[in-house]
Amino acid sequence: MPQWLERELEERRLNRLDLLIWPVGLAVATLWALPFVWMVSTSFKFPADVMTQDIEWLPSRVTFDNYIKVFEYPVVRWGINSLIQATLATFFCVLFGAMAGYALARMHFPGRNLLFVIFLASLMIPVEVSVIPLLLAFVKVGWASSYQALILPAIGNVFSVYIFRQFFLTFPAELEDAAKMDGAGPFNLFFRIALPLARAPAIAASVIIFTLNWNSFLWPLLVTFDESMKTLPVGVAAFTPVVGTRTQIEGYSVAMAAVTILSIPSLLLFCFLQRYFIQGISQGSIKQ
Amino acid sequence: MSAAAHSVDDARGRTPREIDKAGYVLVAFFAIPFFLFNIMPVLFGFYVAFTRWSIVGSPKWEGLRNFTRAFNDQWVAVAFKNILLYGLIIVPCVTVLGLLFALFVNKRYPLSGLARTLFFAPTVVSATVIGLVWVWLLDTQFGLVNHYLSFFGIDNIPWLTSTRWSLVGVSIASVWWDLGLAFVLFLAALQDIPGEINDAAIVDGANRWQRFRYVILPHLRPVISMVVTLQLISTLRIFSQVYVMTNGGPASSSSSPIHYIYSMAIVRNLFGYASAIAILLFALILAITFAQRFLLKERV
Repeated sequence: MPQWLERELEERRLNRLDLLIWPVGLAVATLWALPFVWMVSTSFKFPADVMTQDIEWLPSRVTFDNYIKVFEYPVVRWGINSLIQATLATFFCVLFGAMAGYALARMHFPGRNLLFVIFLASLMIPVEVSVIPLLLAFVKVGWASSYQALILPAIGNVFSVYIFRQFFLTFPAELEDAAKMDGAGPFNLFFRIALPLARAPAIAASVIIFTLNWNSFLWPLLVTFDESMKTLPVGVAAFTPVVGTRTQIEGYSVAMAAVTILSIPSLLLFCFLQRYFIQGISQGSIKQ
Repeated sequence: MSAAAHSVDDARGRTPREIDKAGYVLVAFFAIPFFLFNIMPVLFGFYVAFTRWSIVGSPKWEGLRNFTRAFNDQWVAVAFKNILLYGLIIVPCVTVLGLLFALFVNKRYPLSGLARTLFFAPTVVSATVIGLVWVWLLDTQFGLVNHYLSFFGIDNIPWLTSTRWSLVGVSIASVWWDLGLAFVLFLAALQDIPGEINDAAIVDGANRWQRFRYVILPHLRPVISMVVTLQLISTLRIFSQVYVMTNGGPASSSSSPIHYIYSMAIVRNLFGYASAIAILLFALILAITFAQRFLLKERV
């Protein structure tokens, strides 16, 4: 082993075995990303170059036709539905979660602990238990296939309350006391002092809950009866060869174009705000 | 979830003071939609499960008939057997791979930040993306997986179109999708281990394996238990990728309870029956949650 390498290893406190582990680990990480590469690569291929035994990681001829074909389906409408659903549900969930988390952490009122225990205990109930009765209720009220139906059940996500409560438990009391001296009421205190300082948990909760909502599948699948109210994941799911017939007609290139479009928002959000994702998730579950 | 116990009274020993009535208002905005749309439906579901209920017409009380029917329904048995198989494949894979990946990233080699991004990325995309990408990768004739397996002399495997392989095919996609969460939880736990402990072990002459076995692993035990439970519960609820990749087929070989509930409700309009099966699944999940609590307590 050359001297400089030994010195380098010494400095990083690594030994010879690490020299093997490092490239193997990176190779596995690359392998892990290959399905995405293959997805994007396929989406730019001519249908004739897709169903073939020749594996071309980089397409030799590139076409945008698949993307144009995707837009022959109501994907714009589905995208708008998804955006409305995910944005509004996330906004209300995070705002109301911050309010509840603040009250549970900083305010004193009978029933406070009971409420928090109920919130936490509800995590043991799988959402799937409630979707069928919820669907019956929404049909009865005449709200099936509506934005209300897509948004309302997504507001009560306890994760949001939990993450804000954790944050406000360690919030410096001096700030509150100073504001109280100035005669600020409890709502002023929350909206003017506490909320603006809760940027970190707000971003963490927002990105995680937005991603959950953007990807939510079972409920939108159940509650949207007409094509025009579908969300993007549910609409695009019809490109699968088993449920829909679109892949049989269009081939995988169009399906891959559709899922590339669908994955862009969540992947972008993740790439830029990765820190918040990872912090939020580990805080949200480990310290339980 | 034991946070509830810790926080019972802030441990701040405040003197009793007047009640913040504003607290109720602040909580109400969250609590009202939560109770209306997340708790009430569960209670309502217990009622629905005892009725015959289709989307038109009024419900009819049926007592325990939906439950006795579920116990005699061979497809319910198949669905529950399938999730046990899913669990047997997915849970160990996610736990072991997630831990290995976390150990790797935690070493802070050059580029390990990139590796962290790549390992977690699949978790943030929708089931539709996972499902469709893997349907294409696992395509029998032209799929990438079979193409590379053929280099090892393995004949084309009908991953998603045969009763023998469909469950395995869906599991592969699920591991790719689910691993990120386990990975992140392990990584956070590893970063919580004080560096000095590891250094002390090195000074004492412990080798890599001994350090893992006697320093790191005991520290990770609660996280491993949590990851196994979370992953087991999420696997018991497996649905979206099944729906997209195989729609439960062929011949229900990859179906799951939620998939069966979905088809009973939406395809056959048997809402009471679907609710009854949902309650059975709920009971199974609760039993596992409590069993894990119990086992964890025993050990500590």
